[in-house]
Amino acid sequence: MASDGGFKLIKAARVIDGNGGPPIERGAVLIEGDKVKAVGSEENVTAPEGAHVEEHVYENQTVLPGLVDGHVHLIGIGDGRAGDELTTLPDEILTLQAARNARAHLYSGVTTVRDCGAKNQTTLMLRQAIEMGITVGPKLVLAGRPIAIIGGHLNYFGTTATGTVEGRAAVRQLVKEGVDFIKVTATGGSTRTSIASRPSFTMEEIRAIADEAHKFGIHVAAHCTNTEGIRNAVDGGVDTVIHGTHHEPDGSVVYDPELSEQMAKNDIFLNPTIHQARERIWQLEEMAKTRLLTEEEQASVDKYNSKWEEDVAYWARVRADGVTLIAGSDASWMWYKLGGTSFQDEILAHSDIGMTPMEAIVSGTRDSARSSWVEDEVGTLEAGKQADVLVVDGDPSQDVKALRNVVDVFQGGNVVDRSGVI
Amino acid sequence: MTGGRGSHTLIRAGRLIDGLGGPPIERAAILIQDSTILAVGREQDVSAPEGAPVKNLDYSDKTVMPGMVDCHTHHNGFGDGRAGDDLATLPDEILVLKSARNARTSLLTGVTTFRENGPKNVTMLRLRDAIRDGREIGPRMVLCGRPVAIIGGHMDYMGSPATGPVAGRAMVRQLVKEGADYIKITATGGSTRTSFPMLPSFNVDELSAIVDEAHKFGKLTATHCSSTQGIINSLDAGVDMIIHCIFKDADGTDRFREDVAERIGNRGAFVNPTLHVPRSTIWALEHKKADTGLTPAEQSKLDDQSRQFESRMEDARRLTDMGLKLITGSDSSWGDYMLGNTMYETECLTMAGLSNMKGLQSVTGEAAKALGVDDEVGTLEPGKQADVIAMPGNPDEDLNALWNVTDVMLAGKLIDRGSTAPIAATRQHVPHSHG
Repeated sequence: MASDGGFKLIKAARVIDGNGGPPIERGAVLIEGDKVKAVGSEENVTAPEGAHVEEHVYENQTVLPGLVDGHVHLIGIGDGRAGDELTTLPDEILTLQAARNARAHLYSGVTTVRDCGAKNQTTLMLRQAIEMGITVGPKLVLAGRPIAIIGGHLNYFGTTATGTVEGRAAVRQLVKEGVDFIKVTATGGSTRTSIASRPSFTMEEIRAIADEAHKFGIHVAAHCTNTEGIRNAVDGGVDTVIHGTHHEPDGSVVYDPELSEQMAKNDIFLNPTIHQARERIWQLEEMAKTRLLTEEEQASVDKYNSKWEEDVAYWARVRADGVTLIAGSDASWMWYKLGGTSFQDEILAHSDIGMTPMEAIVSGTRDSARSSWVEDEVGTLEAGKQADVLVVDGDPSQDVKALRNVVDVFQGGNVVDRSGVI
Repeated sequence: MTGGRGSHTLIRAGRLIDGLGGPPIERAAILIQDSTILAVGREQDVSAPEGAPVKNLDYSDKTVMPGMVDCHTHHNGFGDGRAGDDLATLPDEILVLKSARNARTSLLTGVTTFRENGPKNVTMLRLRDAIRDGREIGPRMVLCGRPVAIIGGHMDYMGSPATGPVAGRAMVRQLVKEGADYIKITATGGSTRTSFPMLPSFNVDELSAIVDEAHKFGKLTATHCSSTQGIINSLDAGVDMIIHCIFKDADGTDRFREDVAERIGNRGAFVNPTLHVPRSTIWALEHKKADTGLTPAEQSKLDDQSRQFESRMEDARRLTDMGLKLITGSDSSWGDYMLGNTMYETECLTMAGLSNMKGLQSVTGEAAKALGVDDEVGTLEPGKQADVIAMPGNPDEDLNALWNVTDVMLAGKLIDRGSTAPIAATRQHVPHSHG
């Protein structure tokens, strides 16, 4: 978005820069044009003498980097429908849905998203429309279509490959179309013709895809719902592992510390999508206040809740073994809708599994930006970065729920009109 | 009055214009049940059924009138001067996103029904699907699907060329199958680079077949006519609305044809003169002249458009004097005319001789008749859909009141218009030289 130029000085009760250090009390952010010029305590940050400065004073609020959602599906509807059904909608409808989601997520405080898979060219078209000024949305880091095996997870979005040669060809085609990274589904998933408990591509195929992507300077993120798939992805050289629980083919979880250590050693990020399943549980628990849940619904709530302590312990081990968890909502997949406070709920989930509030914030700002290879531009409030700024009521470094209290969103130095309908 | 079930809304209005042409009712009220108007009248004569819960809307300091009906729009368009030939090169996904934005602009500026005259492929049909599914907001739509054109003819790039009566009928069947509500035909060339605006496009046997097939399905027809022979052919074929209705001979000479105009009147066809389109180009050039100056080519375009506008206005006055049925169809966003500015076309019609009240009818009750949707919308009467707009001031005295629409109700539901700045920004302003 074009900025109206000039200087803006944001003063706030505290500034969180996204790097994880203690908040700067009575802090300030100086913006020049669409970039951050300086960040620090109020007395240390001033505009050059004589310059015209527009001041934004947030006496009791916290200022932090615009959120970076490391995993979205912009074309999703979030009403529980399976991807197999979603993909039967025409591209025009999916593009309209993507525009609606992009707007809603921006208004919710998310100024960058990494889209991990859409049908055909829908998200690329959305970006073109945003550049043309037809609609508004966060900065888009796009995979275009995920690369899948025949019948594999998300193969219905339009790109399948078999063998290392086709894998490289798929990368080249996507790069030609303008994607920013490569999403590969290294295991099956919810796609009906896929097998979630088994790997999809061979390690050699993933390695060819990753090698070709890296040749063009873009990164690779791999969907992995079992241990063997993770191992293929890690050995194949991907940069982010998505979901990433150590499931055996029989569905049991057998934690493999060496795999985590290998990820840590290779600086491979993990996007655990913790809230994805919990969102539905929350919805059911809310419904239970007005009607009896069906047996099936009650069973899924009970199962989730009974597993929770185990899950927390699992993620504690992953973190203890050095893997960096980054926040990415996976909305609007299944029942999880973009916009509202959806990404805040994933960040909250990171705090619920044991991160401090500040660590959780970092997982949804600096580290999700690092994982998306856009840390040079966004994710922290530092001189030279894009002036994407979130203002919230309260102090999220004490209670991460405060991230839900969005007061203002700056995108490229300009306040977003969050009630704009046109 | 019988109340019945459902949720009731009672609107109190300082002044009510019902779209039927009578004098405004002062201190009026509208009673609405769900999406339908139950009663309209003086405040003391309209009340909610006793005991029923009622939502009250107080517009006692405002005028309320039917939501506007724009009989001619291009929601794919940008209105930034780009040619249709260039517009049509954009991908469908981009066009549908632009259409969604334009549809919101239409609705939020008070247009609750529009006819769409020339979108590409299935873009508008898809947008309507998205609105029906609740994924988007937008006005009611009367869609053509795509305009039917000859090969190389005006808007053939939108995707529906046909040759011969048989292909013409097949095209109508295809469009109806896809969900078209009426059939738009380009009976002459137009701005399309490969077309000839001064010459007819389809032959009469082709036009007749298309019109006959449309009428068979109960669908209305409308023809784009940039020159006289196209109007004559359209009348021979029994078309229901003449668009542009430009009286020009094949050599480009302006020559009003009273005999042809009489035939339009006798047929009872509606005329959509699209007067503001040339004026929008004049304004765009004058804005540019004031800002940066004009090239000689632009200056000559300005002079030409000014002559065209005068000639078109003169003809429109004649048509008005003859009692023909002129309705508001903005033709935006086409040329330099952007959606959100429907009022300018109504204003042109009043400059051509319609009273303000007749002008308001041309964008409400009469417009709905022209589109064949008057059983549902266009006036505030019992049984009609509750499409209502409210504004300070009195548009019967000053049409400019239409710029200040504050509230838009569609099917009994108030639309959340969000912040007003982006809505205000859609207004195209009169150059100072016209101030």
